[in-house]
Amino acid sequence: MRVNPNYASDMVSLMDQAQQAENNAAQELSTGRRVNLPSDNPAAEATMIDENSQSAAIDQYTASSDSLTDVLNTANSTLDSVTTLLQRAVSLGVEGANGTNNQTDLNSIAAEVSGIQSQVIALANTSYAGHYLFAGTSAGTAPYVADASDPTQIDYVGNDQQNHVRIGTGLSVASNLPGSSIFSQSGTNVFDALQSLVTALQSGDSSSIATAESSVSDSLNAVDTAQVFYGNTVDELTTNETYLSQEKLNITTYQNTLVASDTAEAATDVTQAETVLNATIAAAAQINQQANLLTYLH
Amino acid sequence: MGLTADLNVSMQSLLAATESMDVTTTNIANMNTPGYARRSVVLEESAPSGGDGSTTGVDVKAIQSIRDTVLNLSINAATSQQNLSNAVSSTLSPVQTMFSDTASGSIGSTIDSFFSSLQELSTSPADGSLRAQVLTSADNVASSFQSTASVITQAQQQADRSVVQQTSDANSLLQQIATTNGQMSTAQALGQSTNSDQDQLSSLLSQLSAIVDYQTVNSSDGLTLTTSNGTPLVVGNTAYALTNALNPNGFNDIYAGGTDITGTIQGGTLGGELQTRDQTLATLTTQLDQFAYQFAQAVNNVQTAGSDGNGKSGVAMFNPPDTTSGDATGAASSISVALTSGSQIAAAASGGASGDDTNLAKMVDLQNQSIISGDTPDEAFSNLTFNIGSTISEANSNSTATGNILAQLQNQQSSVEGVSLDEESSNLLLYERSYQAAAKIISTVDTLMGNVLDMGVTDPGY
Repeated sequence: MRVNPNYASDMVSLMDQAQQAENNAAQELSTGRRVNLPSDNPAAEATMIDENSQSAAIDQYTASSDSLTDVLNTANSTLDSVTTLLQRAVSLGVEGANGTNNQTDLNSIAAEVSGIQSQVIALANTSYAGHYLFAGTSAGTAPYVADASDPTQIDYVGNDQQNHVRIGTGLSVASNLPGSSIFSQSGTNVFDALQSLVTALQSGDSSSIATAESSVSDSLNAVDTAQVFYGNTVDELTTNETYLSQEKLNITTYQNTLVASDTAEAATDVTQAETVLNATIAAAAQINQQANLLTYLH
Repeated sequence: MGLTADLNVSMQSLLAATESMDVTTTNIANMNTPGYARRSVVLEESAPSGGDGSTTGVDVKAIQSIRDTVLNLSINAATSQQNLSNAVSSTLSPVQTMFSDTASGSIGSTIDSFFSSLQELSTSPADGSLRAQVLTSADNVASSFQSTASVITQAQQQADRSVVQQTSDANSLLQQIATTNGQMSTAQALGQSTNSDQDQLSSLLSQLSAIVDYQTVNSSDGLTLTTSNGTPLVVGNTAYALTNALNPNGFNDIYAGGTDITGTIQGGTLGGELQTRDQTLATLTTQLDQFAYQFAQAVNNVQTAGSDGNGKSGVAMFNPPDTTSGDATGAASSISVALTSGSQIAAAASGGASGDDTNLAKMVDLQNQSIISGDTPDEAFSNLTFNIGSTISEANSNSTATGNILAQLQNQQSSVEGVSLDEESSNLLLYERSYQAAAKIISTVDTLMGNVLDMGVTDPGY
């Protein structure tokens, strides 16, 4: 068979191929990825997009958990202060009921209890980043206000709704507890109890003082019970964040196996392509120097 | 028998050697000419001369081009296919970057951010800055749809410009083929060699195959060229020019002799540009429009079912072009945010308090619902990525595979048709020797004849 006398075009295409292989390997090294465009590996790119979306969702769940933890911790410490104040009110009630105080003393105790009541109202109206923590979902208005017709009566103007925040796929937690489930539960209304203690102290009747002190004590217990919600939710968020960070790590690892380049392999590829390219160029140069029959004809 | 016959035969021999050397010269001169097939001299014994027919000279019967027509057809078909794949790949390349997982501001990433901002807002539904953040990310979703749609349109327009250019290039080649056809018929009629015309035709056909696929039939008046479905392009010395006419989409269709042949072009750069413009990118635009439309509809449906920060019923968040007829055409290029203030985001259930996030939770849940033709927004985007990626990847592998076949075929073609300097050099030597030998015979006959003539002349000796 006759041999192809035009080796030049073959040589050029071989050099092109070697150059392309070298470029690919070099790009892999510089980007750290085997897959840089959808056409490099369509299935891996499509999966990368799914995983990126998962990863963004996890970041968001983590961020939500963080901000929610801040809110819940604020509410929790607010309730700690309320508990301290109510404990003080209980001991004032006990002191007022022991019969050793004259009316002047009782009046000054009543004044302190009244002060405690004001502080508890202020605490129950605590707002965080512009919204009231204990107003249910009616977060724009202060939940506890003095009744228009009877200023000693404290009305709850919030609602008894709870919001739920997503902290995982198909997983959400309640992000608030309405004041009606903490301070103004029926039977254990903190403000009513404190008001009755003030009234009893002012009246000087020991048995009324004792009764009022016991209802303040009951409302203190009710607040304590409600406060458990915050501690539990924060615990749940913490556990969830640990899980989310593990999930995030899994996704990152998976993404690496999908598209990340093997540096050692890519470096070897560059060297190999370089060797092939040099060899092809050398061969082409060698063939060009080779004499043909014309050289020997005179 | 006879010296005169020897002279005649030697004369023929000299002519044959000269003509052979001419062919060698032509071969060497054209060794790099596209379409040129090496030529060889076909020698034959001439009719016997001399009284008893014992002396037979040589005639140049023909000068033949060594050409493998079947191989050439395969090469042209492969060239057509490779150019189609290359055109598909290069036209789609700028589009695929919009669908890459690393593209910032891609539809997929802006939708992820949109849902993140909704989710963030749900931790504090009354927060004004978080509400403003949601509007910003909704704006980003709208612009990512718009910019992706615009990149697709640009790619289509670029393909369209290329279609016009390729049509004009093809016409110029068709005209040259027709002219060459005419020259060939004339030469044939006059009994002249058509080798040069064949070479030229071969080069023209090879150039044409890079632009468009075609079929060839050899007929009495030269080569007849038709499209793959038989519409004539060149018959004899007449070329039927391709013309462009705008279709309803604003793109150029291709007509041959009044027939729309746009859909029948299956090869060459022209075929690749048409396939990309009218199929791949047109489908992608439709899918993107559906995506934008259904996404906007789903968000709007939840939004209008709730109450906003001012206690009013929610109004549509996105402006798709036509919310009533269900026609999504142009949705991706025209989607925009209708809300002007963060307070208009309907976070609360209908009639709910200002801090309620019930409706917001429903909006966040859209992320995992099959709202885009049975897919979640994320799946819809990754499907588009997969589709465009695999179209390009397929075109690239086709190009490589066809390129390998083409290299093999061209190698084969060169081994049949290519001019080898070594071969020509040795032929030159051969013809030179043959010329020298014939010349030697003539000089010998001359001497002999001289001797014969001298026989009648006696030396006077004085």
